[in-house]
Amino acid sequence: MNNNFKNNKNFSKVSNIIESLTINPNPDSIQVLEEIGTNSSIDEVRELTSRALVKRNEHDSLSVVIANRGKGINDMSTVVAMSTINELLSLENKEEAMRVLENTISSEGFDEEVKENARSVKALMALS
Amino acid sequence: MTAIEKINQLSHRIFNTSVTEQSVARTSNPFAASNFQKNILTEDVFESSDKKKNDNVNFTGNLTASSKRIYSTFVGSINDFGNRFYEGLETIKQFGMRMKDHVVNAWNKIHELGNKEVTLDGAKEVLSRDFTSFFVNHNQREISKMSKMDPHGEVKPMLVDALSALEADMAMAA
Repeated sequence: MNNNFKNNKNFSKVSNIIESLTINPNPDSIQVLEEIGTNSSIDEVRELTSRALVKRNEHDSLSVVIANRGKGINDMSTVVAMSTINELLSLENKEEAMRVLENTISSEGFDEEVKENARSVKALMALS
Repeated sequence: MTAIEKINQLSHRIFNTSVTEQSVARTSNPFAASNFQKNILTEDVFESSDKKKNDNVNFTGNLTASSKRIYSTFVGSINDFGNRFYEGLETIKQFGMRMKDHVVNAWNKIHELGNKEVTLDGAKEVLSRDFTSFFVNHNQREISKMSKMDPHGEVKPMLVDALSALEADMAMAA
């Protein structure tokens, strides 16, 4: 994330809103993050959103970044994908994330690419 | 006519301007003094300065009543702005003076109490730390406030607006 972006007033505003949705106890926050943040055309915003969803560490929020094509660990941007994986690896409690990863790998309803990514991340998490 | 007589006539034409000088006084034409082979310029081809004096300068002559109202409102707003501007400056000045007095009083008090360990560098460090924490706390307060809002009804429109503004900034920068 470059410094010009960080100094942008509107980016700070977006960042604050995303952060507020990270700690908002209302589960609807996940829908807002998924609908608006992960579909943003700006890589930095998608990165922030994915990390926020991981930080929430809930089944639904983790499913968005693990089991969705083009989102979180499956994002087209390597920076966004790597950042999401880093956030998953730094989770203190990885139980829910492991569960979601296993579900994704074993379920029939997902793309092979999504399953492959989930398998790689699960291996990394098991090692960390 | 002899040559001498001709020369006399010529010198009379060149140097004798007394006839025209009397008429010059009545005109504003600076060239009226010239004698073009005794053909005096009787017409004042320049616009008379006397005429100008009589013309009243009228800035509002061609303005309609509504235009006058608009201009007067505009001028009024400028005057008003000036007042407010100076009032604002006065307030800032007073605030600055008050702040300075408070800081100086506090500083003197500390030294009166015998605390010689307080240095200017230390004070600067404390002040800069406090200002930084002020902005950080402001951000945290804002985040905390928004985290209590309804995600769909309140936060979502805010996020959409902020993202649109950010995208516009990016488009301008590109």
